[in-house]
Amino acid sequence: MEEREDQIIELADDEVETRIARAMATQRSTADTEPDRSYRIYILLPALFLLVTLFGGLRFSAADGSFIFMKPELICLVFTALTMVLFARSGSIEIDGWLRENRTILKNAASVAVLLALSAATVQLYNSLLPEQGLMFWVVGFCFFWTIWNALFAEFDARKLFKNLAAIFGLAFVVKYLVLTNLTAAPAGSWWQRLFENPGKEAFTWLLDLPKYSSATGYLQFFTLILYVIGLLLTPSRVFHASPKPE
Amino acid sequence: MKETYIQICGISMTFLGLVFIVFLYVSEPKTLAEVSTKGSVAIGAYSVNSDDFDRAVALFRNDDFIGARAAFDKADPEKRDAATQFYTAYSFYRQGWGRISNDDQLFAQGVAAADRVMAIDPAFRATDGSLQMRTASELKAEMEEGLKITISDFNPMKLTRERK
Repeated sequence: MEEREDQIIELADDEVETRIARAMATQRSTADTEPDRSYRIYILLPALFLLVTLFGGLRFSAADGSFIFMKPELICLVFTALTMVLFARSGSIEIDGWLRENRTILKNAASVAVLLALSAATVQLYNSLLPEQGLMFWVVGFCFFWTIWNALFAEFDARKLFKNLAAIFGLAFVVKYLVLTNLTAAPAGSWWQRLFENPGKEAFTWLLDLPKYSSATGYLQFFTLILYVIGLLLTPSRVFHASPKPE
Repeated sequence: MKETYIQICGISMTFLGLVFIVFLYVSEPKTLAEVSTKGSVAIGAYSVNSDDFDRAVALFRNDDFIGARAAFDKADPEKRDAATQFYTAYSFYRQGWGRISNDDQLFAQGVAAADRVMAIDPAFRATDGSLQMRTASELKAEMEEGLKITISDFNPMKLTRERK
């Protein structure tokens, strides 16, 4: 009996020691990385999201490679609002971990700036991935809506949501910039010439009403998607620890 | 750096970045050169390139209207200077003018350029003594008259008229 009690005491001591060691390690790592964390949250994240916002609507003309800035459709704003709700519901972004009444205005403003950049980047990412016009705009748009709407009522944690979004965005990128792009004929030569040379492509171009852009557009949008995913990976669920102490 | 400074930097960068992106999407520049031109317009630092303008006027006086217009376009790529647009409209008039018939396409482009002059500066008056028409409204009226087909167009005396 005594032996058993000694064992229990020993185990309890070990656990306490382990917990203390873990707490000290956490404290040390927090102290070491606090400036890095601030740089990451307030400088790197907005920079990444601003790049996504800039490039998301940028296309290159097939004719002369000039810039075409596509303004986002209204539906992109709707998708973004729903996505932000998803982030909040899944715990990817805890609102009370970003904004709190007892924090200074500057800290709250800095958090708002990051969240604003994230929202703008999300709008532009949808702008990038949705086909610009025609039947495919509605088809892909409906697929996005269906997926997000179902996700709104499902039980998600942050990791699952991230995987889900990465999969949707990846698939949409493949559909738009690999499949649909290769179904579209470049507007070179006369209509008759194009019809005889490539009747299938010409028929798809006419049926789907898709604009043709320079191949550089696909490369740029690929990196835009990658930047957005990196940005999401680096976004913490809360920017400060949940201490009740007013700052 | 103190966290406060990092946060101020972050807010400023986000605000300026979003303003710049909105500016790009509203102004829709087609090239990097246009980004700087439209940027200078936005901050009020836009001005006509005087060297290109002088070269364009010289070409205009030598009746090289196509070359003159190219140089005027280079001098005022944003089409915001009344004098440059007036010369452009005048070049369309002079190139399109014919003793028997006028070139309607050039005249129509000239009317559009004259409209731009009136939109930029309704009271614009050219100081060039070699031009017979000094205001955009005179120039526009002359070209609009040239675009119409009236009974007076068949008057043989019209063959004696001179280009202004």
